Amino acid sequence: MTGLRYVYAVCRPFGAALQSQLAGVADDPPRLLPHGDLVAVVSHVPEADFGEAALRDHLEDLDWLTATARAHQQVVDALTAVTTPLPLRLATVFKDDSGVRVMLEEREAAFRRTLDRLDGRVEWGVKVYVEADPAQQAQSARPAASAEPAPKPASGRDYLRQRRRQSRANEDLWSRAEQFATGLHATLSDRADGARLHAPQNPRLSGAAGRNVLNAAYLVARDASEEFVEMVDRTKDDAPGIRVELTGPWAAYSFAGETEEEGS
Amino acid sequence: MTEPAEPRKRRLDLEPDTVERDLMKLVLTVVELLRQLMERQALRRVDEGDLSEDQEERIGLTLMLLDDRMTELRDRYGLRPEDLNLDLGPLGPLLPRE
Amino acid sequence: MTVVERREIALVDLLDRLLAGGVVITGDVTLRIADVDLVRIDLNALISSVNRNVPSPFGD
Repeated sequence: MTGLRYVYAVCRPFGAALQSQLAGVADDPPRLLPHGDLVAVVSHVPEADFGEAALRDHLEDLDWLTATARAHQQVVDALTAVTTPLPLRLATVFKDDSGVRVMLEEREAAFRRTLDRLDGRVEWGVKVYVEADPAQQAQSARPAASAEPAPKPASGRDYLRQRRRQSRANEDLWSRAEQFATGLHATLSDRADGARLHAPQNPRLSGAAGRNVLNAAYLVARDASEEFVEMVDRTKDDAPGIRVELTGPWAAYSFAGETEEEGS
Repeated sequence: MTEPAEPRKRRLDLEPDTVERDLMKLVLTVVELLRQLMERQALRRVDEGDLSEDQEERIGLTLMLLDDRMTELRDRYGLRPEDLNLDLGPLGPLLPRE
Repeated sequence: MTVVERREIALVDLLDRLLAGGVVITGDVTLRIADVDLVRIDLNALISSVNRNVPSPFGD
């Protein structure tokens, strides 16, 4: 018995070989654990790092989390080249092979339903940001990075007028952004086979400029993807002060769990 | 000699952590909240035509001076406007992030 | 095929998908981690100091 079992994803059996240089989580290249009609993709990981207490601790360490997340994603990404994987959440760990098999057995029907739904599909991420308009930088004493400093108000009344102008312009921008994001989400949801909203991203973690107002994932068939991407690309110039970012293609991480609600 | 048992986990916030600065951050966040509330109310009253020219001028000057003072204090402690905020968890941030 | 630049995948995008996406399975070891606690380990907790004694606002 060599440690615990870290499960990346579940899929249908596939013929092609997985890309060979995958390091895997805990530097254990992924292995296939077949059971019935399904295959679990696993790595053997040390209990010292992946036991419950250790894991809890590690998950609060950004460096460890980053390394593990990237290793995990690398494996799932490699799987998308040869099959349609059903990704599991980070750090799904079992005691041994038997534990994994029992899980596969118990959830077989749900997995098959989801795998059918995800078959031949990928996920695209779309994020919308509102960028502060340089002309409205609030603090009159601080010039905006890329614009002329706002003229210093000549009087108290002048200051209030300036603030009102900035406040209104700001409101306008936000209402346009809301309309834009809502419209975009509706259009893309319509075009995709599935849509899911994630929480807006924290700018301190992402380092992104502006405020993230839409963080969505769309499930799209592989052969419909080119059109989908072009559609997103066309919207990019539609709204001044608003930025659209596209990421992908991803494995269908955001759509793997829906069977939970369907009941088992 | 006391050494940490294990290397400190890296957190995103790499700025030097002084008690004084943290306190200042908290104080300035509260002051900023009040400033925004006062400003919003002032603008509302101006729009409603509620204030005499003289009152407008005095309120405007006060707010402007407060704004300048805030900027000074922030700069002195190396705080950006975005740093003045409190995360209330599920309630979101204390101050609007715009 | 795509117009997306193949830049390095941003960590935030990855964490969105790995922490809040994927199927939630009751692993032998990570029953709590997979279900409740990962929801609690939100990104803000990674940035500021983590206080494990703070109860989950969503209840258990």
